[in-house]
Amino acid sequence: MSTFGASTDPRPRRVDDLISSELMAKLNQVDVMSRKIFAGKLQGERRSKKRGISVEFADYRHYTHGDDLRFVDWNIYARLDKLFIKLFLEEEDLSVILAVDSSKSMDWGNPNKFTFCQRVAMAIGYIGLVNLNRVTLYSFNSNGLLPLPNLRGRRRVQEIGAWLLKREPEGGSGFDDAMRSIALTRQGKGVMIILSDFMFKEGYEKGLRYLGGGGYDTYCMQVLAPEEIDPAKHGLTGDLRLTDIEDDDSAEVTVTGPLLRKYKENLNAYCGKLREFCVRRGMTHMTIDTKTEISALMLDYLRKRGLLR
Amino acid sequence: VTWLTPLAGLILAAALIPPLILLYFLKLRRKPMPVACTMLWMTAREDLQANAPFQRLRRNLLLFLQLLALILLAIALMQPQVQAGQFDGGRVVILIDNSASMSATDGPGGLTRLDIAKRLARDRIEAMYGGGMFTSSPDETMIVAFSDRAEIISRFTNSRQQLLDAIDRIRPTHGETRLEEALQLARAYTTNVVDEMGEARPTGEPAHIELFSDGRIADLADQVLRGESITFHAIGTDDPDNVAFAAISAERPFDRPTHIEVFASMINFNQYEVSCDVQLSVNGTARGIREINIPAARLDDESGELRPGRNNVSFAPFEMARGAVIELANLRPDALLADNIAQIVIAPARRLNVAIVSPQGWVIRNVVDSIEPARLDILTRAQYEERAAVGPLDEYDVIIFDGYEPENLPAGRYLCFGPPPPIEGLNPYGRADRQLILTTREDHPVMQHVNMDRVFIRDFVLMQPARDVTILAEGNQSPAIVHAVREQVSVIHVAFDPLDTYWPYERSYVYFILNAIEFLGHFGDAVISQTLRPGQAISTRLPSSATDVQLIHPDGRVESLNVADPTQVSWGPIELAGVYTLQWREPNVTEPQLRAIAVNLLSETEGDLRVQDEFTIGRDEVIGHRAGRTAYVPLWPWAVGLCIALLLIEWWVYHRKTAM
Repeated sequence: MSTFGASTDPRPRRVDDLISSELMAKLNQVDVMSRKIFAGKLQGERRSKKRGISVEFADYRHYTHGDDLRFVDWNIYARLDKLFIKLFLEEEDLSVILAVDSSKSMDWGNPNKFTFCQRVAMAIGYIGLVNLNRVTLYSFNSNGLLPLPNLRGRRRVQEIGAWLLKREPEGGSGFDDAMRSIALTRQGKGVMIILSDFMFKEGYEKGLRYLGGGGYDTYCMQVLAPEEIDPAKHGLTGDLRLTDIEDDDSAEVTVTGPLLRKYKENLNAYCGKLREFCVRRGMTHMTIDTKTEISALMLDYLRKRGLLR
Repeated sequence: VTWLTPLAGLILAAALIPPLILLYFLKLRRKPMPVACTMLWMTAREDLQANAPFQRLRRNLLLFLQLLALILLAIALMQPQVQAGQFDGGRVVILIDNSASMSATDGPGGLTRLDIAKRLARDRIEAMYGGGMFTSSPDETMIVAFSDRAEIISRFTNSRQQLLDAIDRIRPTHGETRLEEALQLARAYTTNVVDEMGEARPTGEPAHIELFSDGRIADLADQVLRGESITFHAIGTDDPDNVAFAAISAERPFDRPTHIEVFASMINFNQYEVSCDVQLSVNGTARGIREINIPAARLDDESGELRPGRNNVSFAPFEMARGAVIELANLRPDALLADNIAQIVIAPARRLNVAIVSPQGWVIRNVVDSIEPARLDILTRAQYEERAAVGPLDEYDVIIFDGYEPENLPAGRYLCFGPPPPIEGLNPYGRADRQLILTTREDHPVMQHVNMDRVFIRDFVLMQPARDVTILAEGNQSPAIVHAVREQVSVIHVAFDPLDTYWPYERSYVYFILNAIEFLGHFGDAVISQTLRPGQAISTRLPSSATDVQLIHPDGRVESLNVADPTQVSWGPIELAGVYTLQWREPNVTEPQLRAIAVNLLSETEGDLRVQDEFTIGRDEVIGHRAGRTAYVPLWPWAVGLCIALLLIEWWVYHRKTAM
């Protein structure tokens, strides 16, 4: 049996294996951001659920009846003899939903794709909890959708970690059903992050369409192992019978230069199509190599892509 | 192209090619490899196949290359050879010409033709028996070396080493090229095979003959192939340089019997005039050099034969009363050295001992007296019979019977007048009268200056001589003078009594008697002792008391001859030209006695060194293959080389497909 794509790292056993204290310290400065909700607030159409304690000034508007007099800018009133309300950026508790693909196909690659997703989910969950957002985790495969709903506050970090550690990749993806269930049970708006390789033989289109209706600022994080991105570089050669670890489907190939080129073309096309699909529906697609450092991903890449700030 | 071991290659091909094809037909044993998802791989594979209609063929390029490599390997194992001529199995007789012309040094690096023939024959043996790893076992091969006689060097065997050793044993001779005996030997051994039990069993298959020669075969016209196939390997070059001695002779001038005059005839086989220095040596000491120009040889327009240019050379008489070995050497180097030397042995000048038995008158006695013989004895019939009954009359060189019919005729030389001597082959059958002489053999030394036109014979003996009896004078009814040789007896018989004719009054009568005595007296040891050719036998008469007879070869080798009767010493056949010396001892003489015998090549057939590429045996045309042009070229190294190249290409193609 070849070692191609086999994970050499042990599966994380403890929460510390998922997220280190150093990373936690770094992530304390980061919050999850939603472009959609941000935009809404600027228009002032949304009311906050809790009193804003923020001091971050945003804008002015005319005072209307019923407004809290505490927010009237008296200085402007003195100068202009008109009442203006100061508007502040609201620190809303954002709903952060993390959906982790725990199908068998995720248990592959070196570094392992599932372990990588566990770590990313842990890190984003941590950010969500630290910033007092409402964090919901889902694990989905063909066996069904397993939720860990509505966690808030830093104290729930261990709970997320423990839940993530318990997840074992198995079965098919069940992506469509899982997305449908999530869409049906959604509570309010928020950021939806899907961690998966999106290698679904039944297709990803139907599942993603459930999420396209609005309400979610959806991020499709396509996690791929280096062996998937460049198989030749990782020693895939010879006359092979490739077996799909998810459904035992096999494909007999003779790995040749043209075949490898065609594979890369197909992979790029697949990812490109997914990206295009996402863009058309206001979603964000990103392809992530499991070789990427979690800290770099969190502090650099996801910030640039607007998920974190 | 011949295949030395076709079976090995076929077995390899049969063993490996079908499994290889089967492997390609069977599913490739693929390495299982788990992947996260086969979806992209499947589409990639399908795309590739969809986009490349020749994918199947391209993938099979490897199979094609491997098949080709295997086939080449099989071909290499079959050991293909480009060979001169066709050979399709069966028993092989290798005939190697070791005649004089094969000693020509016109090969590369001064190799003789025989050296080249032996090398080619060795190659042939190697190719047949020792060529490769999986040699098929060909039939047996026999090796015969031939010149004017054939010698089996190796009987039929399939032992490679034995055959190679046999080829090494072949030595050059100075004989002429004659194929008949070699063909007879080949036939005798192929049609009657003596098996291990010593029983002869006939085989019906004619042999395949591999002839290594320069093609100058003297007796081609008489030969016919009887089913044998023949491959002729022509050896030699087209225009080798050769000038040869064609004849040599010496005479003691009539007026100066202690002097010697030497003549030689030289022939030029080159188609240009040559100038030669001819050196005369006497007993190994040079006595003089003469320059001689010999005209160019020319090709006869009608027959296409080469007519060599000729010229004669003579050396002025010089004093040499004793016996001597005279050697003429052509100092101009050419391709064949053997015919650049001619030797001759001169007997010491001596007068003869003559006996006349019962002379009928004074005429014969006076005539014999006039030549001043060393000794002239007149014997009565009783004296002669008494001596002849005891043994040979060695003391006389010539015995003359005048009208006497002896009872015994011991070894000796006789001149008989009248009654026929008791010797077989004369076949007298009566008497007749009135005869005229019609013709005489004027070219015979005895009949020189003998004019018998006016001789009328009244009474004579009728004869019906055997074929080997030389008729010197033919009458209108019966031969009148004959010369018969029977072992050690040489007789000139005159079938009438001269005194019954007017002949004694003719000058020719005196000439005849002098010629006959000179001829008989020097027969065998006269001025020139026997000059022999290679291939002939030395046959001479030594004194009956000779013991410890030895033959000293030209190369100095001494061979003891087991001689039962010294009066009949024979040895042969002679293989090499040169001076052979017989040495013997006589009682009461301390010094060993010597007699030299010269053997000269003097052959125009062998002197013509041009290679004859084609000849006809009977009705079969034989076309030669030149050595060096179509030697045996083994092809298997090429096949192996190509196979390796193909494997490299296959390896490259495979890696190009698998690598990025």
